[in-house]
Amino acid sequence: MREITYRQAINEALHEEMERDESVFILGESVCREQWDTHRGLVQRFGRARIRDTAISEAAIVGAAVGAALAGYRPIADIMFSDFLFCAADETLNQAATHRFSNGGKTKVPMVIKTAIGGYSSSGPMHSQCPEGFLWHRPGLRIALPSAPYDAKGLLKTAIRDNNPVVFLFHKLLLDVRGEVPEDEYVVPLGSADIKREGADVTVVATSYMVRMALDVANQLTRYGVSTEVVDVRTLEPLDLDTIVESVDKTGRVVVVDEDVSRCGVTAEIALRIMEAVSRPLLAPVKRVAAADLPIPAGHLERRVLPKPQDIADAIGTLMNIDGRLVVEGFSEKPGFSVG
Amino acid sequence: MDTRLKQRNGLDVAVSKSATIRPTGPQLVRLYTNMVRVRRLDEFLVDAYYSGRLAGPFFHSQQGQEAIGAGACTFLRPDDYVWYTHRGHGVCEAICKGLPMRAFVAEHFGKATGSCNGIGFINTCAPELGMFGMGGTVGGESTLAAGTALAAQFRGKGQAVLCFLGDGAMGEGSVHTALLMSANWNLPVVWLCSNNGMSMWVPVEAAYPKENVADLAFGYDIPSTIEDGQDVAAVYSAVHTAVERARSGQGPSFIEFKTCRYRPQVEGVADYCLDGLRDPVEVKRWKQRDPIDLCARRLLEEKILTREDLDRIDEEALAEVQDAERFAAESPLPDPSLLDTALYAS
Ligand SMILES: Cc1ncc(C[n+]2csc(CCOP(=O)(O)OP(=O)(O)O)c2C)c(N)n1
Ligand SMILES: [Mg+2]
Repeated sequence: MREITYRQAINEALHEEMERDESVFILGESVCREQWDTHRGLVQRFGRARIRDTAISEAAIVGAAVGAALAGYRPIADIMFSDFLFCAADETLNQAATHRFSNGGKTKVPMVIKTAIGGYSSSGPMHSQCPEGFLWHRPGLRIALPSAPYDAKGLLKTAIRDNNPVVFLFHKLLLDVRGEVPEDEYVVPLGSADIKREGADVTVVATSYMVRMALDVANQLTRYGVSTEVVDVRTLEPLDLDTIVESVDKTGRVVVVDEDVSRCGVTAEIALRIMEAVSRPLLAPVKRVAAADLPIPAGHLERRVLPKPQDIADAIGTLMNIDGRLVVEGFSEKPGFSVG
Repeated sequence: MDTRLKQRNGLDVAVSKSATIRPTGPQLVRLYTNMVRVRRLDEFLVDAYYSGRLAGPFFHSQQGQEAIGAGACTFLRPDDYVWYTHRGHGVCEAICKGLPMRAFVAEHFGKATGSCNGIGFINTCAPELGMFGMGGTVGGESTLAAGTALAAQFRGKGQAVLCFLGDGAMGEGSVHTALLMSANWNLPVVWLCSNNGMSMWVPVEAAYPKENVADLAFGYDIPSTIEDGQDVAAVYSAVHTAVERARSGQGPSFIEFKTCRYRPQVEGVADYCLDGLRDPVEVKRWKQRDPIDLCARRLLEEKILTREDLDRIDEEALAEVQDAERFAAESPLPDPSLLDTALYAS
């Protein structure tokens, strides 16, 4: 099968859905070009009315998207860095997330918030965050956070067609990652986790960039005779708990990995849901790997705050009750970007 | 002293034209010197970005806009508050307000001796100079600026607040709320909008219904003026007229500066404009009115300085940058214990 990058996968999904449905349009800051280069060819094909540059106002971008969605369109609100989504907290959390419910289920808000997440680039606390825990806390938002090109394309297409606000979180460090993507039309349903690697001893449940990190660790651990299964949640809302629990029931051990902070975070929530749902007792208490409960520092201390491959290996070593350390190599997809 | 800012429709009625506050000869020399220092430092940081020496993945050069920060900040009181933007990461405002270059470069190298102890990078923090830093959200500090102005008003010691904004920042709702608050409460703040014609890759004419950003201040009844952002003496006159208004309890002012950023939005990325590139001819045209050249010409014409003086200023600026570089290179990385102490105050 052909291989394309995660960036191209996002781009193809946008081209295809804008072609398929005239009510889809994009609004955001400098979106003709787009910070992450995911909009290539869109403005030439669909024009500046549908690829719409806005003033620098996240509140206006998300709020106008909610309004246009209510009035029958399918806007994609482009927020350059997910950190800036907090500038549109009211529009996202109070309006988009609750609109339908507070109107007794009579309205719908079919929109996408497409935004870049992730650290590992020493950009400091306002250009590095992963907001999935914060967003998941709010009932009413769907959340997709793909780790591979195939998932990025399939999930974005589904997100655009969904009748609810979907936050599509793409990771900056995944943009140049290549993977198999069919030429033919396909979609990935929301709420379907994916077993990215099969294994027998331990399950790692991970999100986004952490899936790649976990896969790399899993491959390295084979030399210690540890067989690791990696489950990619792909979407947090809805969460495919069945696939996760099935894996944990098989292995009896689980590490949950997410790049957001641990406190009140994605790892906490998933870990607890697993414990509530497993059909046989775990062989060891759940382990979590997540960012320290700190803002993300710029500079050399960033690496002490964000999850590392060795953290995942250490968690697995503890679960497996292995004497001595499971030493793994560092791993980083080259950041290789300059940001606005 | 005329501290009124007149209603105006264009550059020809800029308040600086009739201002009674004007830089003296020695003051002009200091303004010039600061512009040169900032330009040399900015050039160094651009180079450092490309040679991979910066602690983070970006630098937003402010080359071309030196007259604004220099004219505004060089002669402030130490206890005046200054809020800067991502443009230059505050290099111009901070250096002209009195931050040593060493602290600025060390922070950009991620060193413990930096102005944020090596974990702030684009942040430049010097509370002793009335500078509390800049987080990274465009316009994000404007309401904070209003808050410092409120504190200054409470304190009643004649402190002024300067809040720099890009033209693009005027899109953020919080900026407008801050303007409104400053008008309602008659706060001692000067809003300084550096209109460089671009908000990221969108030209100002595509982002605003009107030509002049300063027109937005009319609605809040905040006196405003439009100034030549390349003329450091004009900047000085306009800002200090507004600062006097603030100090004497006459409330907020809004100044728009027409200017140009010479370099791309951010280093390492082409100089985009919409779906193409920014017209290089346009930038070239602006460079003919380079703020440093303009000031040098005036200093020579008025026989305030000689060619040799200008050369010496340049050499000293370069030496200062080299010293800062050496200092930063030799400084230690921050100690991880900083992570335990930086979050909460005791
Ligand atoms: C809240 C927020 N939105 C978007 C950005 C990304 N961004 C950084 S600089 C910039 C352009 C700012 O334009 P302007 O205010 O005119 O300042 P200039 O860059 O021209 O100095 C943008 C959109 C940001 N940093 N913060
Ligand atoms: Mg601008």
